[in-house]
Amino acid sequence: MSIRTTDAARGEGAAPRAASDLVNATFRHWSLWPCLGFLLALSVYPVVQLVPMALSTIEFAGGQAVWRFTPRRNLDLLLADEVLRDAIVNTLVFVGLSVAIEMVLGFFAALFIACLPRGRVFARTIMILPILLPAVAIGSMWKLMYNYDFGLFNQIAGALGIEPGNWLGDTRWALLAVVVVDVWHWTPFVFLILFASIEALPQDVLEAARVDGASAWQMIRLIILPLLGPALAVAAIFRAIGAFKAFDQVYLLTSGGPGTATELVSLHLNRVFFEQNQLGYGAMLSLTIIAVIAATIGVARWAAPGGDRAVAAKAAP
Amino acid sequence: MNRRNVLGAAAMALGLMAAYPAPATAQAPFAEVGQQAPITILINSSPWLAGFERTVQLYIQQTRNQVRLDVTPYGGMLEKARNAVRAGASPYDILNLDALWTIEFYEGGFLRPLAEIDPNFSLPAEVLTFQDSNYWNAQRRWRTREGGALMGYSPNGNVHVLYYRADLLRQAGLEPPRTWDDVAAICQRLHRPPAMYGFVTRGERGNPIRYDWTPFMQGAGASIVRAPQDGDYTVTINSPQAKQALDRFIALQRNCAPPNVGVLGQGDVIQLLATGRAAQGLAVIAAWSTFDDRQRSAVVGQINTVVVPAFPGRDPGVAIGNWVFAVPKNAPAERQRAAVAFSRWFLTAGAQRAYAEGGGIPVRSDTFASDLAQRPEFRWMRAYLDSQPHARQELGYAEGAQVEAVLGLRLNQALIGEMSSGRALNTAAREIEEIFQRSGRRTGRLEPLPE
Repeated sequence: MSIRTTDAARGEGAAPRAASDLVNATFRHWSLWPCLGFLLALSVYPVVQLVPMALSTIEFAGGQAVWRFTPRRNLDLLLADEVLRDAIVNTLVFVGLSVAIEMVLGFFAALFIACLPRGRVFARTIMILPILLPAVAIGSMWKLMYNYDFGLFNQIAGALGIEPGNWLGDTRWALLAVVVVDVWHWTPFVFLILFASIEALPQDVLEAARVDGASAWQMIRLIILPLLGPALAVAAIFRAIGAFKAFDQVYLLTSGGPGTATELVSLHLNRVFFEQNQLGYGAMLSLTIIAVIAATIGVARWAAPGGDRAVAAKAAP
Repeated sequence: MNRRNVLGAAAMALGLMAAYPAPATAQAPFAEVGQQAPITILINSSPWLAGFERTVQLYIQQTRNQVRLDVTPYGGMLEKARNAVRAGASPYDILNLDALWTIEFYEGGFLRPLAEIDPNFSLPAEVLTFQDSNYWNAQRRWRTREGGALMGYSPNGNVHVLYYRADLLRQAGLEPPRTWDDVAAICQRLHRPPAMYGFVTRGERGNPIRYDWTPFMQGAGASIVRAPQDGDYTVTINSPQAKQALDRFIALQRNCAPPNVGVLGQGDVIQLLATGRAAQGLAVIAAWSTFDDRQRSAVVGQINTVVVPAFPGRDPGVAIGNWVFAVPKNAPAERQRAAVAFSRWFLTAGAQRAYAEGGGIPVRSDTFASDLAQRPEFRWMRAYLDSQPHARQELGYAEGAQVEAVLGLRLNQALIGEMSSGRALNTAAREIEEIFQRSGRRTGRLEPLPE
């Protein structure tokens, strides 16, 4: 009787304890579920939804969307799209140029300001101002400055007796003019990441190099740049993704023109999806862009210092 | 009532009689609409907005009915309208739709015909319909009143006119231009860049160049498609007439416009005219309100208008770029009725007069024929009214937006010298034919032009 009582007592007490242990042990898993739910609902589901859209022709009739399964149609459109080819080339040039210039300028600005004996906080605040401005304001401001007849640049050129520049209207200059605006807007972002990393560099290593007689250039090349590798990679990847998605400024400055001189993939997607209401083909374009960005991130992760390639090399016998 | 009140009332009555002389039919200048539910109108922030806002204020004062305006830049209008009609219930009770977008909304079944909401509603005979852009025949898939339902009405009938500097032409002893040759001759006399450009119009890729080239195309006797109203979608944009129109357009732009013509937009054209740096310009009538506004113009009283010039021996081409007010099917019934009541009031002679006086472009022919047209500030009305017989719609089919994208790019490439005019038109013809083929239309195209 007593044994039975004891067993019963043990059983009654053990069950809640086991349940509690189970809750504790699995808490870290199920506490993530709400977050995972949001991620699935807001990120994964829309992307998955793009797949049936990309394989369909979607039209509206009687106030309802009518889907027709036309798997080859949108792919054929993608392959035959001449403007898309120009857009891809322009986007690659835009991303390559703007990110490269932003990385170089951001690095040297960070280095310069980190070396200032005084006023670093003030200089940093001034530097990051462009990031705080909305892209619409930046686009409008630069469009005014680039204006052929009334713009600041041509006013200055006129005062100096120089021929005015057709900054946005000449196919040779238009993409470069757009790159300049992106560089002005986003170099501070690179600066901010690199400035924080430079401030966190181990001072003893820098001091040792200095004692050993390293020149400034040697210190930058052999010590600072290698130590900043992960920060440089992060900044470059973020900026490449941002530049790949660039839309608002370019839309305001040139809307992709003249001709296709500044047509970017994002502008083309907007044109197809929203202006022309080609939802199926727009979905196909979106999926292609997502795939290209994912591949870019994958390659960058693999190639970056400390990335997958380095890890694999270290693991090799 | 004391003596002062009686005098005041008499003075007001005299003022009203002077302002709104009784027409032959002796109809009331404003409609009595009774108490209605509050409504919301999706409206674009275009140059004629101020006139519309003043007219809405007058409606609110007269009827005590509430009207809220959601003022949106042009670039955001289409998506707002689409989202509204595709939602469960529309937040808007009247949508202002660019005539180019109306096909998508008519064909999609998103709008409610006005007579379904109020069987007694009909457009007054004086209201301009801009080639029936506000009717939809679902069987023919065409905008026509023949067998078509009345889907809306135009709050603004934008058409092109030619703006010119009357003072400069007078000083130079020149007559206002009637042909494109006249435009070129005036340009030759007055073009002194960068202080003065001989002729400006939009060359920006997309809708701007497509729309501003259309009067040249129509005036040369060319067309984009042979007879879409009859189901014949043979592409005719690469005709010799279209090439003549494009060559003329390019020559004028290159010889008379600023070097950045390939990105010149509506704001730029208006700015060049308003700052006194352009002697002539092709622009929509809605731009007028800027030129006599002392806050925004350096050439107040010096700009005048004529009908778009013609090619020798031909009629002028006048492209319609109107808007259509329409009621979403998914708006609550009470607010749909209120929207139609507002429409009945807005289309009365009194409201249209107030609209014109506020800076809007009225849509009743009797407003243009009234005493207003004699007043100097309304000197644009003559050219506007004279344009109407020549005014034509383009792209009145479901593929219109895609066709415009093609033309907007290829014309721009020809303008900036990336392609010859022949190659641009041949390329456009091939691409437009492919669009119609994908839609299953009866199509084809002309023999290619020499490139």
